[in-house]
Amino acid sequence: MNKLIIAAAGSGKTTYLVKESLKIKADKVLITTFTDANEREIRAKFIKLNGSIPENVTVQTWFSFLLQHGVKPYQDILMAANVMGLMLVNNKSGFRFNSKRGFPVYFSEADVRHYYFSSDMKIYSDKIAKFAYVVNEKTKGLIIDRISRIYPHIYIDEIQDLAGYDLELIHLLLQTPSNIIMVGDPRQVTYHTHEEAKNNKYTESQIEQFICDKCKDTVTEIDKTSLKTTHRNCQAICTYANSIFPEHEPCDADEKKPTGHDGVFFVKPADVDEYLKRYRPSQLRYSVATTVNPRYEVFNFGESKGMTRSRVLIYPTKSMVDWINDHSSKLAFESRSKFYVAVTRAEYSVAIVYDYKNKTDILGIQNYVLP
Amino acid sequence: MAISKIKICNFKGFKGLFTLELNKGLNILVGNNETGKSTILEAIHLALTGLYGGKYIHNELSQYLFNNEVIEEYLQSVNDGVPIEPPSVLIEIYFDGSIDPVFEGNLNTDHATKAEGLQFKIAYNDKYNDEYQKVVDSKQPSSLPIEYYEASWTSFARDSITVRSIPIKSAMIDSSNYRYQNGSDVYISRIVKDLLSPEEITSVAQAHRNMRDGFVKDEAIKAINDRISKESTIIDGKVSISVDLGTKNAWENSLVTQVDEIPFGYIGKGAQCVVKTELALTHKRAQNASIILLEEPESHLSYSKLNQLIAAIEGKYSDKQIIISTHSSFVANKLDLNNIVLLDNHETVKIKDLDSAGFFKKIAGYDTLRLMLCKKAILVEGDSDELVVQKAYIQQHGGHLPIQDGIDVISVGTSFLRFLEIAKCLKRPTAVVTDNDGDIDALKKKYADYLGNNKKPFIKICFDEAVDSGTLKIGKNDYNYNTLEPKLLKANSRNLFNKIFKTIYATDDDLRKYMKQNKTDCAIAIFDTSETIAFPDYILEAIKND
Repeated sequence: MNKLIIAAAGSGKTTYLVKESLKIKADKVLITTFTDANEREIRAKFIKLNGSIPENVTVQTWFSFLLQHGVKPYQDILMAANVMGLMLVNNKSGFRFNSKRGFPVYFSEADVRHYYFSSDMKIYSDKIAKFAYVVNEKTKGLIIDRISRIYPHIYIDEIQDLAGYDLELIHLLLQTPSNIIMVGDPRQVTYHTHEEAKNNKYTESQIEQFICDKCKDTVTEIDKTSLKTTHRNCQAICTYANSIFPEHEPCDADEKKPTGHDGVFFVKPADVDEYLKRYRPSQLRYSVATTVNPRYEVFNFGESKGMTRSRVLIYPTKSMVDWINDHSSKLAFESRSKFYVAVTRAEYSVAIVYDYKNKTDILGIQNYVLP
Repeated sequence: MAISKIKICNFKGFKGLFTLELNKGLNILVGNNETGKSTILEAIHLALTGLYGGKYIHNELSQYLFNNEVIEEYLQSVNDGVPIEPPSVLIEIYFDGSIDPVFEGNLNTDHATKAEGLQFKIAYNDKYNDEYQKVVDSKQPSSLPIEYYEASWTSFARDSITVRSIPIKSAMIDSSNYRYQNGSDVYISRIVKDLLSPEEITSVAQAHRNMRDGFVKDEAIKAINDRISKESTIIDGKVSISVDLGTKNAWENSLVTQVDEIPFGYIGKGAQCVVKTELALTHKRAQNASIILLEEPESHLSYSKLNQLIAAIEGKYSDKQIIISTHSSFVANKLDLNNIVLLDNHETVKIKDLDSAGFFKKIAGYDTLRLMLCKKAILVEGDSDELVVQKAYIQQHGGHLPIQDGIDVISVGTSFLRFLEIAKCLKRPTAVVTDNDGDIDALKKKYADYLGNNKKPFIKICFDEAVDSGTLKIGKNDYNYNTLEPKLLKANSRNLFNKIFKTIYATDDDLRKYMKQNKTDCAIAIFDTSETIAFPDYILEAIKND
């Protein structure tokens, strides 16, 4: 039975997957996820709940899984030379040259060597899923069949990070006898496995929609209720976070004991150092380009996914600030998603660095004044 | 759960790619010396365990693992300044497709759409390119630059694997005994270790640790340590004696296998072989397939122990894969000739659907392997026929014994047809020398499968077309004028034979009687004589080299 579980941030997705896999004693289980950080999180959860990772369970990042089982077994159908590993790329790979007018020209798919591989024979991360998909087609399904015989149980965490040909592979896996459980939060799309145009309309993480549209032929249950309660955020944070994605079903929060500084706050830039000293929040920023106080813990938004902190201090981007002030202003889906991730890291308090005016009055956000 | 095929390339005697398909259960490897029987067993064991000659291959890489000719060609090319690629050894093990899909892929020399298995390679590693280039530039390597080589395992899915993760366990049982420092046998330690479940291994390791701790806590040791540390005044630290805490597998090295309280190494070679085999056969870790490699078990076993061993193998091979190399027809017959894999010039021939296998299994004394291993066979009924045919051959072929030319004259008693079935199956050139016993029709009927329209190009049935008769009687019965002795006499003269036998018979019939009663002695005399003998045509036909 296949299952897609839409989960709230801090609702215990990872714990759920680890517990599910511990129930399986003999069969092989694969647990895969997109980020290295989350893979470590899954391993740590096994140690915490079970003392070790059982012999029948494999924890692997999605790319590492694709390289081992999607590319290598039958790679010479497309490429005879040895694949030396994976090259992570953030932009479209296979750049050839700039045209006279200054437009980039890319290698075409027909040039397999340069379309999929870097000069040192590493496969580009944005095309690895496509490679696996194409080889699977050419071998009449040997890749997917092999995976399904190796792993009767495949659990995918942070499913919302997958896109493009990843989704095609998921679609194929859903049709095998393997039991697939996918969990994810469509509000937390901070990474994309690639920039491929394939399945573009699902990249704003409408994984649920993808299942409904494309996977009608597979028996896949969609569960939106089991993991909708956050154990992490207090009610005020949860309520504010819900307002970031009003189009999604709101999450619930567990009762939390107040600490005396609870909820979402604006903090003036001038007060940041004093605020840090007083509450010791973790600082969250868009990228390394953002100036922060180096004496306190700091993470990029994307990096912070999966983490729990008592308190956070967010350095918003300009467009985030505009959007916070006025939800009708334009904010790219990805930015909105990152902001959502940042807000939902905190148990008790979220501080947003913003030079608010005395008249500033945003629903759900208190103006913080130094005592 | 078995190995379906093995491929060997450039390993020892095998130049280029050699392929051997294996039966699921029992495989009896036969072949002349130097055909690679032992090398095949070594190759399988090496690829599955990383052990060569009882030692880990990583520390034992040498150019002697490579085919000599391949090395020569390579060195020549470097010396000539047109270096070819450094040679590599490759051993591929193909699983029968039911063991573990993780090993499935198309990285193999079959390039089959899919296959399950692994590759073991001893190959030059690119990372030494700089240093290697200097060797090549010098143009004077006298040996393979083995220091730039590495042994590695890869699944057919191009995944690099460790020996530990190979799902087939191999047990090698041969006459050699490789020992650990403590004297325990390398192979038997492996077999015992493979017998244990992970839980058992943990408890053995635990027990070993307790033993160690107990030693240090012992009052006697404590007293000694106190004394030592008091007496050592020069050294600052505390000096004490303890047991080697060793490596994480220290317990393995301390294990000694015993039989009736006698350390394994001290029991007889034959018993060692039987014990090893039995242990390997009882190995029951269901999650792993296992293969037993048995090298020439006859070489140190008495007839009765060999029988016991074969009975043990026969009872178990339904659920184990066994490869046994042998030079013994007895072993081959007993274990069913249908399991034979014949090695000849790095080609393999398998025997299939042999009707006579059941007969040879029951009456295992026949020299079936001689027929399988010779270039050409001449089948005769008994000892005297054998001697006469040999003599004819020597005389016709410039003093050569037939065996010197690879031609084996084999006495088969009354089992001509059974041997012919094997010859037919192997397409082995074979001549039958038989008496016509005065009934040509009966003979033609008996050999109908090999005469007339059914004639096989490589099988000759040789008998005298003429039916002779006479009046001689032996007791109440008529004398048979159509056997070897009277035919020989017919081709020669009474005088000559009297001379050879040192007899003085006055009539042919008297000589016939003498020859009948002293068959073997007469044959020996004919064999030993320096006189020239005339042989009947059918014998000349049989010994003719085509």
